Order: sequence, then structure tokens, then C-alpha cells
Amino acid sequence: MGYFTSFFVRLAYFIEASSRYHRVKEFCRTLLEYQHSRLKFYFDIFMVVLVVISVLFLLYEVKHPDGHPYLDAFVQFSLIVFIIEYLLRFWIYSDSHKLFLERYDYAINNNLPFSLGHTLWAILKKKVEYIISPLAIIDLLAILPSYRPLRFLRIFLLFRIFKLFRYARSMKTFTAIITEKKFELFTLAIFASFVIFTGSSAIYIFETHQNPKINTLFDAVYWAIVTMGTVGYGDIVPVTTEGMVVAMILIILGVATLAFLTSIIVSSFQNKLIELKESRLFSEVDKLENYIVICGYGRVGEVVAKMLHEDGYKLVIIDNDDEKIKLAQQRGLIGIVADASKSRILGELGVGKRASQIICATNSDELNVFITLTARSLSKQIIIIARVIKNTHKRKYFLAGANYAFSADETIGLMGAQYITQPISYTALDEMLTENTGVIFDMLPIHEHAYFVGQPLEALELKEKRLMLFGILRKEATPSFQFNPSPNFILQMHDILIIMGRKHHINVLRKQNDKGVMR
Amino acid sequence: MRESKILLFGFSRSAIEIGARLQAQGLAFTCIDSDASLLPKAKKLGFELLITDYSDDDTLLSLGIGEDVRFVFTLFDEDVQNVFLTLSIRALDSKVQIVSTTHTKDAIHKLEIAGASTILDPYQICGKRIYKLITQPEIMQVIDATIFGEEDINMEQITITAHSALNGLLLNECYPTEKYNMLLIGLHDKELKKEFIFITEGHNHKLDHGDILVVIGKSAEIERFKMDFSL
Repeated sequence: MGYFTSFFVRLAYFIEASSRYHRVKEFCRTLLEYQHSRLKFYFDIFMVVLVVISVLFLLYEVKHPDGHPYLDAFVQFSLIVFIIEYLLRFWIYSDSHKLFLERYDYAINNNLPFSLGHTLWAILKKKVEYIISPLAIIDLLAILPSYRPLRFLRIFLLFRIFKLFRYARSMKTFTAIITEKKFELFTLAIFASFVIFTGSSAIYIFETHQNPKINTLFDAVYWAIVTMGTVGYGDIVPVTTEGMVVAMILIILGVATLAFLTSIIVSSFQNKLIELKESRLFSEVDKLENYIVICGYGRVGEVVAKMLHEDGYKLVIIDNDDEKIKLAQQRGLIGIVADASKSRILGELGVGKRASQIICATNSDELNVFITLTARSLSKQIIIIARVIKNTHKRKYFLAGANYAFSADETIGLMGAQYITQPISYTALDEMLTENTGVIFDMLPIHEHAYFVGQPLEALELKEKRLMLFGILRKEATPSFQFNPSPNFILQMHDILIIMGRKHHINVLRKQNDKGVMR
Repeated sequence: MRESKILLFGFSRSAIEIGARLQAQGLAFTCIDSDASLLPKAKKLGFELLITDYSDDDTLLSLGIGEDVRFVFTLFDEDVQNVFLTLSIRALDSKVQIVSTTHTKDAIHKLEIAGASTILDPYQICGKRIYKLITQPEIMQVIDATIFGEEDINMEQITITAHSALNGLLLNECYPTEKYNMLLIGLHDKELKKEFIFITEGHNHKLDHGDILVVIGKSAEIERFKMDFSL
């Protein structure tokens, strides 16, 4: 191994091991590249302001060639920022040391000769790739003309405006459209150049000697383009019959070409618009914390979403039917048209990170189980609630990792059967479950400073308060639920009372509980 | 066939669930559907399935509607069939209890007009349950474990008989939970129109025979209570 090689290898390993290097690079990436980072958002705004002001100054200079001392300082400052930005982007574009080590390890592990030259060449190629990328060229052109000897390139300072492409996402969409429709635009461009070429040569041949305004081929091309673009300034007009015929043909072809161009851009813009909206929704979801993902906005999803929304829970709804999503959006919910069975979608929606619960409420068992499994693989903590369609599949949901799974049919079976044998108790059950009459089940946690800690149940005077104690939940005890405990049952911290009664009666008890420790 | 008092129209998943519960309670019932391909499935489950055209009034009459049929379930997956059947049956018999299931929100109202005695809405039930699971998971777990579930805590209704010791007592005097490990949820007073009154409403009722108490508790405790008060 040569001296240089060993030097580079040691350098690469040193960089790889340096945590500060990684930290700094990561920070720069958050600042410049990561789509959803706050930092980048502020940086982008800062840069946009800088660009706009420096261009305005450029315009100011047109009439005031001597400049202005403050503004000069500002120009220097913005130039420095641009240069630093350019260099940072150059730096973070690729990890040279990684590339180096990869190749080096590969050579060592496979007993192959390691070529320093080739490796450095590969690294260089990667960096050059950055330099010749369109956005980097714009960046460079925005900087270079400030260098005195290159003063003649002043006009390129206007390229700073193009720098805005980097910072505004909607601008990027426009570039994306153009790249996407490359083929169509290319075909059209060829056609247009053909027409322009023919038209300008024709007018040149027919009118050079008859028309004093057409002296060079450039005049002819200028005339052809102005005519074809349906602008027709009228500074050059054909004077011969042949010239007029050429003009007429050019105008018709020009209109057709423009129509074509417009339709290409509009149609692709419309497609892009949907994506754009979606990405906006995704970024909206990114801002949420502790939200509930509802897969499937059918009737179950609708009922759940409505009730949770009214209670102020944060919801994200996905369904692959855009009609349903439209409905959800009209109701002020965040709805995304997506296939919930794709794990990428769930990941992007923050399942496994910021979502706290996921509800599988589609009308297919396969899909529900699949979503359950996907969600569980993304997160161990997330609470998964699944709706079972066919009761025989219930076990599979628990195998897939659902916290709760139940089928409506089972409840219907129970209630239906109860209706026959015990109609009154059915009514009671129905009212308890639907809470239509205002009598609700509620829980009252006994927190550390609660008034009721250490008190026997009698002291709560539940009956006088028109409440009924269903039972007490004590997490550490087994069984954890004690049904109808006796009046001398002593309450402890962290017990949870399950109470039935009217809401305002329960609130009276809650207030008393929160009053604090007894004297 | 005629002695069957419970008819289940529509051999759907709900029908299977209800059937299974009825079977467990030893009640006889008949399932009715028009799709003959369901026969093997019914046979496997041990259900009696009659394949017939239920849209015909004569068929309904021959099934015993208007005579000895007391309960009818309409459990089709299509609301159109449920509404139509409910209407046909109600037209033939004004007393029969019709339990309908529904699949869309709009159909609830239609079924009410058509004359269904009670409407089970699986989506509403399911949605409500998910909502409860999220807002108050502990409560739902308790309800699931007790009323719906595995633990031996049941909900039962007790009709007060004429010779019971409870007959003529005020509700406050017979609060049964003190001596029995069970809860009195509420009651149905046959003199009052309202079907069910929760105990927490605080009315002090005078119990008469024919009133119905709804209690929750261990089956053994409820049995003991019934015995003690000769109910």
C-alpha cells in the first residue's frame, strides 16, 4: 500500500469515526435538504428575502451606477451567504469518505487490488455530478458575476431569481412538470423549430431584395417567431404575395403549436395539482402529535370520526375512495385518498411515530388484518382497534397484534337474542350502550391528591348523588376489576371508579374528588 | 314448522350470531332465505333453514305470521329487502315484534315507518364501541368483560309477581344491592309509558306486580335474590 493510499484510508476512517463531523453534516442536511424540517422552512424564507432584495438592488444600480454604501455592504453579505450555501451543498451532496471506504472494504474483503486513482475518480465524478446539475449551475451563475473580472456576466445576476426555485416548493412542481413532459415538449419543440426554420428561410428567399427590413437571416427568424407566436409587432411585414402566404401558414401553425403546448402543460399541471394537494395534506399530518388514524371511511369510520371529532380528537382518515374522502374533508377532517394496505402510506402518516392509535374499519377482513399487521410491524406501542367482519376471523386479529377486535354481528347476536328473552333488559342495555337517554358510563380516577384517597365507599354518598357504582378497577390487583364492592371498601390511589349516572351528577362527584386531601 | 315462534329472515352473518345465541338458550327458531346454496352451511351449523320466496304474502301467512309467530328478525344484507319485508309483515300482523338490522343511515327512518319494533344498527354499535375504546378504554373493557363476556356477570330482568314480598314496596326500601352482590340498574313500570327508567334518575317508585327490574350480577346471586323474594 502506497503512502497516499494509507493516508487516505486513515483519513476516511477518521472522518467516519468523528461524531462531530456527522453531527455537523446532519445539521446542514436538515437546514438545506430535509423536506419537512422546520429549520429548512426558516432558512428558505431567509434566502428568498435575500434573493429578492439583492435583485432589487441590481435594478437600483441600473440608474445609480455608483451604488450606495449600505447596499454595497449588503451585496457583499448576500454574496458570502450564497457562496457558503453553494459550498455546503457541494459538501453534503455526497459522502466521499463513505464512498472511499466502501470501495476499500470491498477490495480488502475480496482480496482485490485497491486502486486509489479509480476511487478518487469516482468521488470526483460524484461531485461533478452536483456541479453540473441545473440548480447548482444556477447557484454558480448567481455568484460568479460578482467577481470583478467577470463583470460582463452581470446579466447573469438575474439568475438569482431562478435561485428561488430551490426555496419554493410550488416552483419545483413546475420544473417537475416540464421534466415529466420532456418527451411531448421535445417533440413539439422539434416541430416548432422545423416550422420556424422553413418559414424564416422562405421569407428570406422571397423578400430579401423586395423588403428593406429583411436584410439578414436573423431578421427572417425574428419575423417568423414573432408571427408564429401570434404577437405580430408589425415592425416587419411581408410585402410580396409569397411572403403573405408564408405569413398566413405560419400564423395557423403557430396557433396550433401554442394550443398544443398549453394543453400539454395544463393537463400535466392538473395531475400534479392532486399530488401537490396530497403532499400538503401529508405535511399537515406531519405537524400533528398523538392523533388517531382511521382506515376506511365507511359507515363505521364515519360514526367514529364524527364522535371523536366532536370531542376534539385529532384524526387522520384514509380511504381509497375519493368520494368518501371528499365527504370527510367537507366535514373538516384530514382525509387522504390512499391505499391503506401499503406500508409506505402508513409509515408516511406517522404510524409508528406520532400516531397514538389506529382504527381498522374497512369492510374487508383481509384488509383489516393486513393493516393491523402492518401497523404492528411499524410500532410496538400503537393501540390498534379493529373491526371484525366475520366473527370466525377474530382470532387472526389478535394474532396480527390488534389490541381490540370485535364484530358488530356478535353484539347484534347478543342483543337480538336478549330482545326475545328479556326485552326490558335489552332496552336497558341498548340505552346503556347508545347513551341516548343521557345516562352514561363514566370513570373517575382517584389521583394522588384526590379527596377520596383512603375513604370508604360509603363516604362518597353515591346514592344521594344519584349515581351508581358499577365497580372499581385496581390495576395491580387480580382480578383487576371488582364488581359492586361493599360499602366499607377503602379507596386507594390510582383506583378507577366506574360510575353510571347523568353527566352533571358525575361532575359533582368529580369536583369533590378534585378538591384535594381531606383535612 | 308452525309451532316455531321465532323467524329469522335472511341467512346473514348476523343471523348466524343470533341463531347461535338462541340455540344456546334452547329456543327454537327458523331461518328463511331464498338462496338455496346456503343450505349446506345451515346444515353444518345445525340450523333449520327454509328456502322460500318471502316476498309473497301467502308464503308469509303460511309461515304463521298473524298466528303464532311472535318474533321476526329481518337480517338481510340489503336494506331494500329489510324494509320491504318489515312492511309486508307489519301489514299482515300489527302485534308481532319485528327486529330489523340496517346498513345505511337513511334506512333507519324507513324501517321505523315500515313498522319495525326495534332497529339494530351494526355500524352505529361498532362505531360507538370504537369511540368508547378510545375515549374510555377502561369502561369498555369492563363492559366487555362483564355484560358481553366471559366473566359470570349477567344482565337479567326480573318481573315482580303478585305474591312476591316486593309487591307494594317502595323502591328505596328494597334496594337489593346491599344484601346481594348485584346491582339494580333500573326498572320498567308498566303504568308508565317510558320503557325503561334508570335507577339513577332517583324516582322513588312503588313496586307493583308486573313491574320489571333489571339487575346485573352473578347468576347465582340473582337466583338467590329471586328465591328469597319468591319471584
